[in-house]
Amino acid sequence: MSPYPHHEEPAKEAVITLIGIGNAGVNITDRLAMRAALPIRTIALNSDQQSLTASVASKKLVLGPMTTHGLGAGGDPERAIDAAKESLGELQEAVSGSDVVILCAGLGGGTGSAVTPLLAKMAKEKGALVVGVVTSPFQFEGRRRSQQAAESLAELKRHVDALIHFENDRMAELVEPRADVSETFAACDGLLFQAIGGIVRMLGNPGPLPIAVNDLLSVLRAGAGGCLFGCGESEGGNRAHESLEQALRSPLLDRGRLLQEAGKILVHLSGPASLTFAEVAAVMREISKNTSASANLCLGVSTAGDDSAPLIVTIIGRTGVEERKSAPAPSVAIPSISTPPPAAPAPPVEDKVIEDPEVASPTTKTQKVKQDFLPLEPIARGRFERSEPTIVEGEDLDVPTFLRLKIKK
Amino acid sequence: MAKEKIHVGLEIGTTKVCAVVAECGRDGEIRLLGVGESPSRGVRKGEIVDFQNASKCVHDALADAEERSDQEIKSVWLAVTGSHLESFNNRSSSSLAEESEITEKEIGDVEYKAKEISIPKENVILHSIIQRYYVDGQEGVIDPLGMLGTKLEADYHIIHGVMTRIQNTIRCVKEFDIDVDDVVVNSVASAQVVLSDSQKQAGAVVIDIGGGVTDYIVYHDGVVRHSGAIAIGGDHITNDLCIGLRIPITRAEKLKIEEGSAMVGGHPPGEKITLRNDTGFSGKEVDRELLNMIINARVNELFKILKKRIHEVVPEHLLGSGVLLTGGCSMLRGVREVAEMIFDSPVTLVHAHSVSGPTSAFENPQLSTCIGLVKYAQAVNADMPEETIMSKFKKLLNFNLGL
Repeated sequence: MSPYPHHEEPAKEAVITLIGIGNAGVNITDRLAMRAALPIRTIALNSDQQSLTASVASKKLVLGPMTTHGLGAGGDPERAIDAAKESLGELQEAVSGSDVVILCAGLGGGTGSAVTPLLAKMAKEKGALVVGVVTSPFQFEGRRRSQQAAESLAELKRHVDALIHFENDRMAELVEPRADVSETFAACDGLLFQAIGGIVRMLGNPGPLPIAVNDLLSVLRAGAGGCLFGCGESEGGNRAHESLEQALRSPLLDRGRLLQEAGKILVHLSGPASLTFAEVAAVMREISKNTSASANLCLGVSTAGDDSAPLIVTIIGRTGVEERKSAPAPSVAIPSISTPPPAAPAPPVEDKVIEDPEVASPTTKTQKVKQDFLPLEPIARGRFERSEPTIVEGEDLDVPTFLRLKIKK
Repeated sequence: MAKEKIHVGLEIGTTKVCAVVAECGRDGEIRLLGVGESPSRGVRKGEIVDFQNASKCVHDALADAEERSDQEIKSVWLAVTGSHLESFNNRSSSSLAEESEITEKEIGDVEYKAKEISIPKENVILHSIIQRYYVDGQEGVIDPLGMLGTKLEADYHIIHGVMTRIQNTIRCVKEFDIDVDDVVVNSVASAQVVLSDSQKQAGAVVIDIGGGVTDYIVYHDGVVRHSGAIAIGGDHITNDLCIGLRIPITRAEKLKIEEGSAMVGGHPPGEKITLRNDTGFSGKEVDRELLNMIINARVNELFKILKKRIHEVVPEHLLGSGVLLTGGCSMLRGVREVAEMIFDSPVTLVHAHSVSGPTSAFENPQLSTCIGLVKYAQAVNADMPEETIMSKFKKLLNFNLGL
């Protein structure tokens, strides 16, 4: 279409492959394939024939039909490894030919725990960018599974470029205590689904304001600290505020409070063609209000061709990492939306990103776990719920001041 | 106009609808005859959201006023407010053919030109208030009528608002076959009775904190310099308490009035207030510190926003007479002190003065706007140069509103 030859163009159309491994992984893959029309290849990979039969992934792969007879690894990583060895060729084929490989699995079981690190290694060798999106099991699933998950996670970290790790225990906070089991699992799956959708959107972001892959990697880098993630989508007149509110309500953000601790935050807005600059500005203002002064905010915006698309706000961040690296953090607040504060030593350089050491810090970890919920969030606007909001400088003044200023504990 | 004239001021507020009937003597004296009130329903943030309920309340208030004053109400002066109101200052100029005498026509011209500015097409100009004239560059001309010159310029303060919203308020009254003499913006009305001429000269801010809306107006050198409205009021405090303390909205309102203060501290730490149980409410102990903290946060924020808005237009040092607070919510404990801290200048609680009648009525800051309407009506009707402007403006308004 363009009269000028764009040599860079083909490279930008990155081939993204999503591989769901194990029961949990296949589940997510299915959800993605059904609910979101994302421009990606999906591969379902399991040693359990039954779960694959039900799957709608574009490609299915039974692991070690001879070893497990299609009956699954039975939670035994050894068995899964054997099965993987049997299907090594198919695995190689699955990971080749992609620029980005997203591995999705629930750790703790057999297939997921054993095969995911293996695949990550193989994909890395093929030169692909590897992103892991994994969950660790619920506490009540027992020590053995937790142990397996921890080992697998450590192994995985050595091979992937980026890792998003969700603890199921925390995700369970998404739902009310009285929600039934399937609802809880569905909510956990939903969060994973959102995370992958968000990453794919960021990677395949056509603009007008793309997020640099380096930025994405430095945030998602398989390092220490907690992963912050929030995603919200909304349509209609107040979509900017609504979608942001949803995103901030994510338990992985603790209603935006964990953003305070984040060193680097990616914000991605994907919206319809009618997305206005004012909406983007309003969202960013609101987010920058929740972040620490030294945080490095990266903004990406992509717009769809038509007006029917909803506005999706995705926030991804990582606690601690960068702040810990920086020398004494600048005490002067540098309020900025588009320009990241120069004082924050963000490492946008690729090699720095990759060899960056894992700055493990137990403090951020514990902080992350003991997050508590604000008891008031469902009625933030109270009796003004249905009236025209009083917006002054992008702030909804109908929300009680003490909540906005976070005065009350 | 040999006779004394009866004027009625009506305000459809967020908390209550009130009507003031007053007798205006030719010497400028205003005597209150009666005040009718009705709790308001169907009004949010100063604007009507439920027409049926709101007009019923208007009816009740007017009937009450008729009964108390023993007068039949035929027409009212109506106060309007809401976040849709906007204002700005505009200068216009008009050249005279030769060096000739400035007549009413030229003055009319210059005002017409001042209003020829781009406001959103759904808006209508409510007030164009003269600030000052310049004749051939000479500043500080108060009345150019009869002066000689080649060029007449004028600064106007213009207040405009969304036409349909104003029409809704008017229709609420017209339901009962009562005429609307004119609509007046809340802050303009309030300023009529709470500010003295000397305060207008020295510079003063009037802040009218109502239930749903806070109106403000700034005077300096005897003229309006800035005005506006922000949709935050006592309702917001109540709502904050309802959410923060988890109590029903009616209890929150009562607690705010009986116990609440915008000042934190000054009470023993850990002091509790016991709310007695009631139907559908099992009673609760409320921490006084938390109560006051919630109110303080809201009031603090409100004044900060106001300060910012006011100082954008009028520098602080020009406000010699400081800040005057009125409106129902100004009666809340500690509000004055918070305002004093934020504005860093003397703050006084004011109510209508220069009227006579039942003291309890005019000393009530809730009635400032209503009494102000009557005063405004009297000023318009009195034989003053203002009349020509106002009647013209009224014609224009009526035309615009299609009344």
